[in-house]
Parts: sequence; C-alpha cells; structure tokens
Amino acid sequence: MNTTAAPTRTATACAHCGDDCPDEPIRLSAKPGLSFCCQGCKAVYELLDANNLCQYYAFGEERPGQKIKPVELPGRFDYLDADSVQAQLLSFRSPELARLTLHLPQMHCASCIYLLEHLYQLDAGVTEARVNFLRKEISLGYRPAETSLKAVVTLLASLGYEPQITLAELGAQPHRGSRRLYYQLGLAGFCFGNVMLLAFPDYLSFTDELAHEFGRFFGYLSLLLALPVLLYAAQGFYRSAWAGLRQRYINLDFPISLGLTSLFAVSSYEVLTQHGPGYFDSFTGLVFFMLIGQWVQQRTYDALRFDRDFTSYFPVAVTLLTADGEKSVSVKELRVGQRIRVRNQEVIPADAMLMRGSGQIDYSFVTGESVPVAKVAGEVVYAGGRQVGEAVELEVVREVSQGYLTQLWNNPAFHKAEKQTLETYANKVGRYFVAATLLIAAGAILYWYPRDEQMMWRAFTSVLVIACPCALSLATPFALGSALTVFGRHRFFLKNAAVAETLGRATTIVFDKTGTLTDVRRSAVEYCGPVLTEREQQAVAAVVAQSTHPLSLRLLQELPASTLSVTDFVEVPGQGLRGVVGGVLVKVGSAAFVGADADLVTAETSAAPAQGLNLGQSIEQSAGEPETNATAADTTDNLQSRVYLSLAGDLHGCYFFRNVYRQELGPVLADLGRRYRLAVLSGDNDSEQDRLRELFGPEAELRFRQTPQQKLDYVAALKARGETVVMVGDGLNDAGALQQADAGIALTDTLTNFSPACDAILDAGSFGRLGSFLRFTQDCLQVVLATFVLSFVYNGLGLGLAVQGRFTPIVSAILMPISSLSVMVFATLLVRYAAYRRQL
Amino acid sequence: MEIIFALITISLCVAVLFLLAFVWAVRSNQYDDTYTPAVRMLFDDPQEEKPAP
Repeated sequence: MNTTAAPTRTATACAHCGDDCPDEPIRLSAKPGLSFCCQGCKAVYELLDANNLCQYYAFGEERPGQKIKPVELPGRFDYLDADSVQAQLLSFRSPELARLTLHLPQMHCASCIYLLEHLYQLDAGVTEARVNFLRKEISLGYRPAETSLKAVVTLLASLGYEPQITLAELGAQPHRGSRRLYYQLGLAGFCFGNVMLLAFPDYLSFTDELAHEFGRFFGYLSLLLALPVLLYAAQGFYRSAWAGLRQRYINLDFPISLGLTSLFAVSSYEVLTQHGPGYFDSFTGLVFFMLIGQWVQQRTYDALRFDRDFTSYFPVAVTLLTADGEKSVSVKELRVGQRIRVRNQEVIPADAMLMRGSGQIDYSFVTGESVPVAKVAGEVVYAGGRQVGEAVELEVVREVSQGYLTQLWNNPAFHKAEKQTLETYANKVGRYFVAATLLIAAGAILYWYPRDEQMMWRAFTSVLVIACPCALSLATPFALGSALTVFGRHRFFLKNAAVAETLGRATTIVFDKTGTLTDVRRSAVEYCGPVLTEREQQAVAAVVAQSTHPLSLRLLQELPASTLSVTDFVEVPGQGLRGVVGGVLVKVGSAAFVGADADLVTAETSAAPAQGLNLGQSIEQSAGEPETNATAADTTDNLQSRVYLSLAGDLHGCYFFRNVYRQELGPVLADLGRRYRLAVLSGDNDSEQDRLRELFGPEAELRFRQTPQQKLDYVAALKARGETVVMVGDGLNDAGALQQADAGIALTDTLTNFSPACDAILDAGSFGRLGSFLRFTQDCLQVVLATFVLSFVYNGLGLGLAVQGRFTPIVSAILMPISSLSVMVFATLLVRYAAYRRQL
Repeated sequence: MEIIFALITISLCVAVLFLLAFVWAVRSNQYDDTYTPAVRMLFDDPQEEKPAP
C-alpha cells in the first residue's frame, strides 16, 4: 500500500478571491501584475475596474472576493420573473419603484459592504442599496422600468453574492429585532432619573424645609412619572407571571410582579394620603435595572438562525416540464407524477424518481457526507440533495410535505410551543421565595397586631416591598449573559441564556456520526495497487485536474503537479473521467467505468442492491462498498469511497478516500466519557462499531442504521427516562433528534451555511473545546447559585428591617441600587474568572 | 421659592424632549444595526489617485 505524499506547491494567490492560482494563472492584459484563479474572478475584477469600484480591494481583508463558482446556467433565476414570486418577495411595489430585502450569507467584510452599497454603479436601475452587516441582509430599491428583479439577483450572483431565496424566506419582511425593550428601557431610565431627583430632598436632613414645602408637589410628580413605568415598562414581568400562572406554574416573574405591585400601591397610598414620599425612586429603579438584565440576556446573533426547518433550505420554485415546455412553479404546488428538471447546484425539492440524466447527488446538508452519491435513471432520489453536474429530469413520487425527510416535521416535537415552563434555577428559587415571603409577611402581622396596628400595616407592606427579588432576577441574566459572550468568542453560539443552563445540567450526550464525528474536509487518500511511477502519477493528475468533482479535487492535492497536456478528455458524470495523456489512455472513476476485473468488482455489485432501502444508509455509504479481498483488513470501514484507475486499458489500482474522525475526537470523548453517558446514532451500517467502541468506551450505546425518525425516538426515550439529553448533529437527518433533545447542538463547518433548527451552533473548529464548554456551563450554574446567596443576604437584611418596621424609603433607596449593582458586577466577574480558569 | 415649580416643570419638559429624541432614534432604525454605519463612513467617493504625501 502506498500513500502518495502531498506535493508542495508554490502558487500565487488570486487577486480577487485569494485562492491559489493554477500554475498558469489567468492574467489581465491591461494589468499583467494581477493573476486570477479562474475566468469568473477575472470577470468580476474587470467589471469593478470598468466601473471605478476598485476601492473594493482596499478595505478590510486583502483579497475579499468570493470565489466565483461556475454555476451560472440560463434559466436559473427565471422564477423571479413570475408575478406570484415577486408579490411575495417585494415589500413595496409600484410601477416606479420596488423594494425588497435579500439575505446574502457570503457577506464577510467591509469590502462587501462597499461593493454592495455601490450596486447602483453597476446597474443604473438600482436606486438604493443598504446593507445590514450583522444580519447579512441588503435592502434594495430598484426601478422596475429600467431593470428587473431577475437582473439584480443575477448581478449579485455574478459578483459572488448569490442571495438565499428559499421557501421560508418568502414573504418574510425585513425582520426588525424587538424594539419594545429599547422603548421600555428608555422610558424606565428617564422616569428613574427624574424620580430620583425629585426624591433627593427626602434623603438629606438639611432639606427638610424644602421637603416640607414641596413634598406634595414632588410626590404627585413622582406618581405621574411612575405610572408609565408600571403600565408600559414593567409590562413584560406581568405578562410572564400571568402566562406562568395560567399554566399553574409560579415563575420568578410572579414574586417580581407581586413586589412591584405592592411597591407601587404602598407608594401611591403614602403620596395620596400625604403620609410620606413613597418608594417611587426604588420602584422605577427596580424596573430599570431588571430591564437592563433582560437586555443583557437578549444578546442575539443576528446572522445566525436557530429556527430553520427544511423550508429554509428548499428552493422557492422548480422547473416543471409540461407539454408546452418548461414552466416555473412554486414548490408547494408540486404534485405526484409531475416531471421536473433540476439543474446543476439545484436542490431536489421532493422525493422523485430519476428519469433522465445521471444524478450526482450531494447530500451534505442531509447527512454531512460530502461526497456526492451517483444515481442512475430509475432510482429514487430523496428530497434535500443537491444535484452536481448535468441537468436531470425527475418524476415526483411524493409531495413535498410527505417526503422521507420532510415528514419529520410532522412530528409533535416540532410543534410544541417554546418551553414556557422551563425549570430554571431562578424559577425554582422564585417559588420558594414566594412562600417564604408570604410566611414572613403573615408572621409580621401576627407579631405586630396586638402591639401596634399602624406598625402592623407598615411591616406587612414593607415585607412585600422588599420581597421583590430584583437582585435575584438579575443573577441569571448577568451570569449567563456574560457566558454567552465567552462562548461567542470561541464560535459556540447559543440561542439564548436558558440553553447554557440546560447544557450545565446535561447527563447524556448523543452524537451523530457522519459529518459530526468525522471530518468531511479531511479525507485520507490511500492508494492500493502496483506503485505508480512519477510519470504515471503526473498523467493521472493531468486528467483529474480537468474535473471539479470533489473527489477529483481531493485526489489532485495528493498527486504531484503536472504540466502534461490532456487530449480527448471526457467526463461522464457519475461515472468517471477519461483522457489521453502522452498517448496513454487514462481512465479514472467507478469500477464499471474503468472496467475493473471481476473479483474486484463483485463486492461492488453485490452491495449495490442494498442501496436505496434506507436513505440514511444509502446516503451515508457512498459509492464504494464493503470489503474486497484485494485490500488489507484494516480498511474494513464504510467511511470510504473508491476511485479506480486504469492506464492504457488495464486496471491499475484503486484510490480509497476515507473519511477520518476529527482529530480532537479522542481527547474530547475521553474527557466527556468520564462525566456523561455517551451514545452514537449513525445512519450508517455497523462496520465502524469496533473503532467507535474503542473511542467511546464500553458503556456507550452505539446504534447503527438509524432513520431520522428512529434518532428522534431514541432521544425521546432517553428523556422519558429522566435524562437531560444534549444532541450533537449536523444534518437535516438529525433535525428531529436536535429538536427533541433538551439542547440540540448543530455542528457546522461554515457558520452562515444551513444548519437545522437547534439550540446552539458550534463551529467545527471549536469541537475540541466541547468538554471545556460543558464544564464552563456547570461553573456558570455555580456562579448563579453563588449570586443567589448574595442576593439573599440583601433580601434578608431588608426583611430584617422590614419586620421591625424600620424599612423606610431612604433605606430602600440605598439598599436597592447597591444590591442590584453588586449582583451585576459579582455575577459578571465570577463568570469571567471561571472562563479564565477553563482557558476560554 | 415658587420659582421651583416653574423650573422643575421646564426641566421636565426638556427631559421629555430627550426622551422623544431617543424614541425617534429607535424608530429610525438606529439601534437595529450598530455595525454597518461605522464602516460606511469610511467609504470615499470615487476619486482620482491621491498625490503622494
């Protein structure tokens, strides 16, 4: 067995996209200093140069361009001319002006903003273009008389910024984040500041005269200012408490609402009966601080979406073949029996039978497997795959919503409302808090009733007032909010702070295999057969260099650089490549294509009928199959594809492409295995069992041949046993399990790419830190608990004063901000320290 | 000291103006995107080669 060494190459970087240029770079005749990797990049440069937009190359990154992929095909954006599609996409439409917002996931630097906002220089019909970088959106206005939606989108695509127009995004307005919180914060801050100024005379003894003279005026004014805080700014707490109560559940917002209400009522009573100045400064301050807590917690990642289902991935329209020719129809209108055409790089929208053409279906979004699966006419192709290569004709066998994959979304797991009754520490503590408060209040009444009736009311209301667990409610947002920041720095993005708490309580971690445990970008290439001479290797390199198939590209990296010329080159999609180099016919491809002899091929053909029985299986096992007697025993895995090679008509050998496990997998699993129950759910067959067993240890549960539905059921069964389940997956076939799990983590190599609905998105590069992340979430829970203790100290102090009837407005005015601020600082600092200790 | 009534009323009115300015800022999308405007201001209008300093 001979593993070819990766040759070292010195290549110039493309002036547009920064990729390596071929050995003979494409040059611009006007500027010979610049070299380009492909015609596409050169074309973009010329276009920008001609329009005086070369500033594009002067911002931010050195070579900001997007590699231009050769996917341009006529008719690709034809559906955008359809009236029904336009009606859904455009937010405003008149004969003079049309407006819409598009999502451009490729946007990545200042240069992108520059280019996109100067779109009007490239298309005079565009009137305005505004980028929202954080959301990776562009708001466009154009004159329909001068240009069309299709022209604008085609222009964007030709620049390398192809908009993501999917079913889910249809009709979606440019979504604005909730502004309510900003208004509430602004209002509460305004009222807090002013009420505090008005309350100032009460704090100081030498202003007694002032207080006496203006006390009433100041009191009424404070009441007036506190009213909007109660009615508008504090709305969220009341709503949340009410929602909890309706589900017969007491959350932390209940004691908060109780406290706020009594605070306001007592203050109003005091002011109106002129008993005293009231606690309006404390009241407005509490609301203000708690809103800050909400704001901190609500840190969102605008560019990431955690709620995607298959519709975010499926195309809007599909080319329907009718008796009168091609027609663009909405995917939702597809019916069984209709014929559709799917072009290069288009997604197959429904389960369908391949009728004409040879399919190369890239299921990387579904399973994580990056090598396309070859399909021939007569085979059923499942929805979600992306066709690579020639256009194919398909006959729909199941409607979109009934597909093998889309059926998953009919599961109740996808319809449950946002977990309202989330059992967080804060809510649990809140419940005891209510009980304790009411007990103490009752105790105060019992104690004071025989002694002093006036004092009794005072103590009773004071207890209710101090019971507002403001500091308590700030602990979780600030601790977990800063944890989110720490995670974000390491490219682990959580949907919200509650996810951090769930992760901290996890007991079981379930992994998907392909794409999650294996690294799709790093396949090991092994060559099996008679050793190739340098010259032969170069000949193979010359042939595969002609193709853009992922396996060809990978093989090319392994082979020495070649300058040999190829004649009679033919690429048979799904089969292989053929070319003549120096008079020798070189064939690279599947066994049948190359003409591999019988004993090598037997395993191939016998494995073939098994394919298609089970989507997960057939997809995850790509072209090459189990064991051939010619190969060594240690290649008994299915993580491999193989490419056969023949020279001058004789079978020469075979390249194995084996997906390898992530480098960090060993240490991560060793770390996690000590603390959690582990499990693997694989759609693949069990040939990897021994290796996985070794990695995961004897206790882990390994399940193979799992359909997406079975994965979901398995997670549901674990949960029923009382486990807190974290699911780590990557593809649409894990979507059900991710949704069902207490916390679903989607692993992705490219953050802006599609990832299924989940609670957290983890960049594959940070996979090695998974153990630290989980430890850190446990630390954060301890920080939350420690902060609870601190806030209890304040509450206890306040209560002590309250039952004695010594809780005056001035005590409240001092205690309240001190407790809030110290809790904020304490929680934040402790989390930072925990992160430092975990080296995050 | 009656002037205090007038002064406080006036100062409150001024404060309300600031509150309204804040509301206006939120309404006009200024809090929706806190990144892009900072980059946008760096873009020059198209111009000829700058002379060497």
